[in-house]
Amino acid sequence: MNVLVPSIAFGLISASVLAIASVGFTLQFAVTNVLNLAYSSVMIAAAFVAYAVNRHGVTIWVAALAAAATGAILSLFLNRVVYTPFQRRKASPIAIVIVALGMTLIIEYGTQAIAGPTNVSYSMSQGSTLAIGSFRLTVAQLAIICMSIVLMLGVHVLIRFTRLGKAMRATAANRDLARNSGIRTDRVVNATWIVSGALCGLAGAVFGMDAGTFGATSTDLFLVLILAAVFLGGPGEPYGAMLGAVVIGLGTEVSAAFIVSDYKDVIAFVVLLAMLAVRPNGLLGAKA
Amino acid sequence: MSVDGAVAPGQVRGLALAAEHVTAGYGGNPIIHEVSITVGPGEVVSIVGPNGSGKSTLLKSLVGIVEILAGSVTVGERDVTHWAPEEVARIGVGYVPQVDDVFAPLTVRENLEMGGYLLRPADVGARIDYVIELFPQLGRMLRRRAGKLSGGERKMLAMARALMLEPAVVLLDEPTANLAPAIAHTVLSEHVRRLAVTGASVLVVEQRARAVLEISDRTYVLGGGRLRMEGTPAELASSEAFVESFLGGGGQKVTQTNQLR
Amino acid sequence: MVYYITTLLVYAGVDAIACLALSQQFGVSGVTNFGFIIFQAAGAYAAAVLSLPADSANGAFQTYVGGWHLQFPLPWIGATIAGGLLALPFSALVGKRLRGDFAAVGLLVTAVMANLLITNYRPFLNGDAGLALVPAPLDNHFNPLSANYQWGYSAAAVVLAFVVYRFLTRVTESPYGRTLRAMREDDVVADSVGKNVRSLRTSMLVLGGAIAGLSGGMLVGFINLWDPAAWGYAESIVLFAAVIIGGLGNHKGAILGAVLVPVGFLEASRYLPEVGRPGLVPALQWVAVGLVIVLFLWFRPQGIIPERRRLIAVHASPDDAPALAPAPPPAPVRALRPRSKEREVALEARGIVRSFDGVRAVDGVSVAFERGRLTGLIGPNGAGKSTFLAMLAGTLEPTEGSIFYDGEEITRLPAYRRARRGLVRTFQLASEFKRLTVLENLLSAVPNQRGDSLYGALLGRRYWGSDEQAAIARSEAMLDRFGLTAHADTYAGDLSGGQRRLVEIMRALMAEPQVLLLDEPMAGVHPELAHRIGNLLRELCDEGITIVMVEHELAIMDEFADPVVVMAEGRVLAQGAMSELRAKEDVVEAYLVG
Repeated sequence: MNVLVPSIAFGLISASVLAIASVGFTLQFAVTNVLNLAYSSVMIAAAFVAYAVNRHGVTIWVAALAAAATGAILSLFLNRVVYTPFQRRKASPIAIVIVALGMTLIIEYGTQAIAGPTNVSYSMSQGSTLAIGSFRLTVAQLAIICMSIVLMLGVHVLIRFTRLGKAMRATAANRDLARNSGIRTDRVVNATWIVSGALCGLAGAVFGMDAGTFGATSTDLFLVLILAAVFLGGPGEPYGAMLGAVVIGLGTEVSAAFIVSDYKDVIAFVVLLAMLAVRPNGLLGAKA
Repeated sequence: MSVDGAVAPGQVRGLALAAEHVTAGYGGNPIIHEVSITVGPGEVVSIVGPNGSGKSTLLKSLVGIVEILAGSVTVGERDVTHWAPEEVARIGVGYVPQVDDVFAPLTVRENLEMGGYLLRPADVGARIDYVIELFPQLGRMLRRRAGKLSGGERKMLAMARALMLEPAVVLLDEPTANLAPAIAHTVLSEHVRRLAVTGASVLVVEQRARAVLEISDRTYVLGGGRLRMEGTPAELASSEAFVESFLGGGGQKVTQTNQLR
Repeated sequence: MVYYITTLLVYAGVDAIACLALSQQFGVSGVTNFGFIIFQAAGAYAAAVLSLPADSANGAFQTYVGGWHLQFPLPWIGATIAGGLLALPFSALVGKRLRGDFAAVGLLVTAVMANLLITNYRPFLNGDAGLALVPAPLDNHFNPLSANYQWGYSAAAVVLAFVVYRFLTRVTESPYGRTLRAMREDDVVADSVGKNVRSLRTSMLVLGGAIAGLSGGMLVGFINLWDPAAWGYAESIVLFAAVIIGGLGNHKGAILGAVLVPVGFLEASRYLPEVGRPGLVPALQWVAVGLVIVLFLWFRPQGIIPERRRLIAVHASPDDAPALAPAPPPAPVRALRPRSKEREVALEARGIVRSFDGVRAVDGVSVAFERGRLTGLIGPNGAGKSTFLAMLAGTLEPTEGSIFYDGEEITRLPAYRRARRGLVRTFQLASEFKRLTVLENLLSAVPNQRGDSLYGALLGRRYWGSDEQAAIARSEAMLDRFGLTAHADTYAGDLSGGQRRLVEIMRALMAEPQVLLLDEPMAGVHPELAHRIGNLLRELCDEGITIVMVEHELAIMDEFADPVVVMAEGRVLAQGAMSELRAKEDVVEAYLVG
C-alpha cells in the first residue's frame, strides 16, 4: 500500500502533462483530420526554447510562455506549409503519415543540431514538499497539476462558450456545412492550430520539468502515450483526450508500482492497440 | 436581424439569383454547359432532369463548391461568381446539400446555433424560436443528436439550419433523396412551402419530377449538362417532349395520376 | 581503405535486400507495415544468438537466449525463418478494416514498443547493451579481418542482393504479381474478382519478413554486434524513405533507393569534416533525410525510377485474323448451362435483413433470380438496392436471412469465394484498377490461372506462359467485342468515365460469371453506349448467364430487363414485367416520376 500513494501522485503529474499534450493533438485531428505525428518533435523543440530562455535567468514558469509561442508558430507552420498543401493534392493518409514522420526528423534533429546532443535540465527549484492528505508533492509538481487543470478548464470554456469554440466544433463536425453556414473555416483551422500549438509547446515545457533532464529524442516514447490517450478517448474528442490522459497517466504509473517499472509504458501500447482493434473511434466517439 | 451586407428576403431588388451562361465542372472538366437560370423574389423554382444531367453540379457551382469555368452568378445585385462558399452564405444564400446535411455529432439546438453563427448572439435565441415555429416537430427534439434523427427529421433540421441566417434564396439539392415516398411528399409539399413562407426564394433540384412540379412556380429541365426546357408546370406537363425525357418509351402524360397507360 | 569499400559494399547489399523486401511488401502489394524494421532486427538477433557460443568471452558479460554456436549457413537460415515467423502475428494487425493512417500508427508504435521491451528485458537479448562479439561466418576457417575475407563477404552480399532481386522480379512479373498490384490498387475490388486478399497479405508479410530477416543476419555477421539503437524510430523511417525515393513498385528503384539513402548516409558520415560541435553532422544528416522525404513526396512522389507500365507482349499470329463480325470469345473454362425450358433458380435470397445502427436498410427481402434472365432492380435512392446487391455478392454480411446459389447456401461465404464460383459483381463507383492497364485489368480477373500463386510465379514463365497466352487471347477478343482494343495498354485510370465502366464490365465477364451482379452499370454512360451494353447483356443472357442489374434509367429496364423488382424503404414493393408494374398504382406512387 505504501507504494500505491506515491505512484498515484506520479500518476497525477503524468496525467497532467499528458492531458495538455493530448488535448492539443486531438484538436488538430478534429479540424484537419490529420494525425500530426510530428507533434512530439514540436514539443521538444519548444522545451529547448524554454531552456534557452531559462538559461538567461528567466524562471521556467515564464520561459514556458516562450515554449507556448514556439509551439504555436511551429504548429501553424506545419499545417499551412506542409499538411494543407498535401491534403489539397488529395495525398493518401499513408502519404501524410510519412510526411509527418519526415517532419519529425527535421524538427527533432534540427533541434539537436542547434542545441547539441547532450541532455539538458531546467534550472528550477522544486520548492518545498507539501503534504496533502497522504500525498507528498513538491510545489513545482503541484504547480504542474494546477496548470493542467487550469488549461483543461480553459479549453472547456473555449469550446463551449466562445464563438471560436463553436466554429471549431462546427468545422470538426462537418467542414463543408460549416462553410455553407458562413463560417470562414480556413481561419478557424489556423486559429485551432495556434491554440493547440500553444498547448503543445506548454506540454513540452512541462514535460521537461517533469522529466528532469531531456534530450532531443526524449519525446519519441511520449508520442505513444499521447496516441494511447487520444485513441482511448476518441480521436478528435477533446474531453476524450482528457479522460484518456487521466487513465493512461494513472494507469502507467500505478502499474509501475506492481510490475517492473521499465515496462510501465507498455500498458499504453496495449491500450492503443486494443482501441485500434476494437473501437477506433474511442470511448467517446461514435461507434465505427 | 440579418447579417450586415446580406440580402434579406423582402429587400431583394430585381432577381434573387441569376446564373448566366454558366459552364462549370471539377478540375477543369465541364459538367454543365452554358446554363442560364433566374430565380425571382419569393419564387419557387425547380430543376429536374435524369441522373447525371448535372443538376447537383449546377447547384454546387452557384454556391461556390464547384469551380465556374465560364459565365456568371449574381445574387441580388452582387456578382458572386468565384466567391468561396462561406462568402456566398454570408450574403444571404442558404444551401442544403443532399448528403452530410447536418452536424451529426451536435444536438438539434446546436445545429441551429451553428446555422446562426453569423448572427449577433442576442438574436440567436429569437431566430431559433422563429424557425421552430415553422417546424414545430424540431421544437420537441432540441436535445437530440442530429445523427440519430430519421431521414425526414434530418432534412427538416437541415432546412431549418439554412433558414437561421434569414437567407433571401435557399438552394436545396434533392431534398427527397433517400427518403420514403410518404415523407418525401411531406418534405416537398409542406417543408419547402414553409421556406417560401419566410419570403425566401427557393431553388430546388429534384429527381421526383412530378412531385416537385406540384409546388413550383417555374421549372427548368436539364439534360446532359445543358438546359433543355423551361416553363411553368402546366406548360411542361402538356409537353410530349418533357414526358418522354423522364419515362422513356411510353409517352404517358404526367398529369394523369392513376394509370400511366 | 579496403575496409571502407568492403563495408560500403556489404551495407549496400544488405540495405538493398531489405529495401527489396519492403518494395515487394509496400510498393508492389500495398501492404503498409511501418513495423518493418522489426523483421530485420529479428533476423539479426536470431543469427546472433544462433552463432554465439553459450558463454561469451570475459566470463559471460552478456546474457541472451540461445547460444548454440551454430556454423554458417545455419545462422543465416535461422535469421530468414525468424523474420518470416515474426510476420505471422503482424498479419493480424495489418489486415483490419482500419483507416490507413490509424493502422500505420499502430504498426509504428509496435516497433517502438518492441524496441522498448528488448531494451529493458535484459535476459532475452542483453537489453540496452545489445549483443557483441557475434562470430563472423566461417570464422573457424578464415580470418575475418583479412582483406580476402572482407572481399568475399562483400561479394556474397552483392550476389545475394542480385539473387533476391531476380527472385522478387520473378514473383512480380507474373500473373501473381499482377494480382498483388491489383490488391494494392483496391483490395475490396480485388476481393470481388476472386482474390483471397487476406492470404495474399499474409504471404507478402511473411515473404518480406523472411527476406528482411536474412538481411539482418547478413549484417550482424559482418559488424559482429547488434543493439536496439540500430533499429529505432528513425531507422524505421529510413527504409521507407529509401523505397519511396528510389521508386515505389519498382525493384530497381528499391536498389537505387538503398544505395542513395542508407548507404549515401553512411558515406557522408565518413567524408564530411567534423564541422561545429560533435554530433552536429549526424543530426544534420537526419534533418537531410527528413527533408528529402518531404521534398520527394511533394515533387516526385513516384520516385526516381517510377513503376513502369506493363506492356504485355501480344503474339497474334497472322493466320488467326480477327473475324469481321464480333465473334464470341474462345471457350471459357467454366461451362455455362444454357437457358432451359424450365425455370431454374440460379440465385435466391430469403428474408434478407441488414441493419446499420438499428436502421434497417434492407428489411426482409426475398427474391429468386431465374437462370438466363436479366432481372432489373429499381427503386428510389435509399431503397436498399445497393446494400442488397452487396449482400448477394458477399461484400456485406446480412444481419438475418440466407442466400442460395445454385441451390447451395452461401450466406457466410466470403466474396472472393463467391467470385470463384461464378457469382461476380461490379460496383457503383468507378472501381477499375487505376494503375493497371486495361489489358491487365481484364487479365486480373481470369480464374484458375497457373501463374496466379506464389508457387506458380516462382516456377516461371515456362510454367504459366501458355495459360497466360490463352487469357490474353480471351482478353483481346473481349476488347474487340467492346471496341476498346486501341486502349489495351492505357492505364485504366486514364480513360473516360464511360470507358472505365466498360472495363469494369469486361473484367467482370473475364471472371467467367454464371451470375453477374451489376450495380448501376450505365451510370454516366452515353445513351448510345448504354444501349450497346444493354444489347450485349441480353446476348449474355441468351448464352446462359444470369444477370441482376440495379439501375435508374427506366428506359433501360423497359428495353432489357425482364422481370423487374421494385424496392422501396428496404422492402420489395413489386415484381413483374415493366408493363405490369407501370399499371400498379403503388409502384407509380413510389417511384415513377415521383
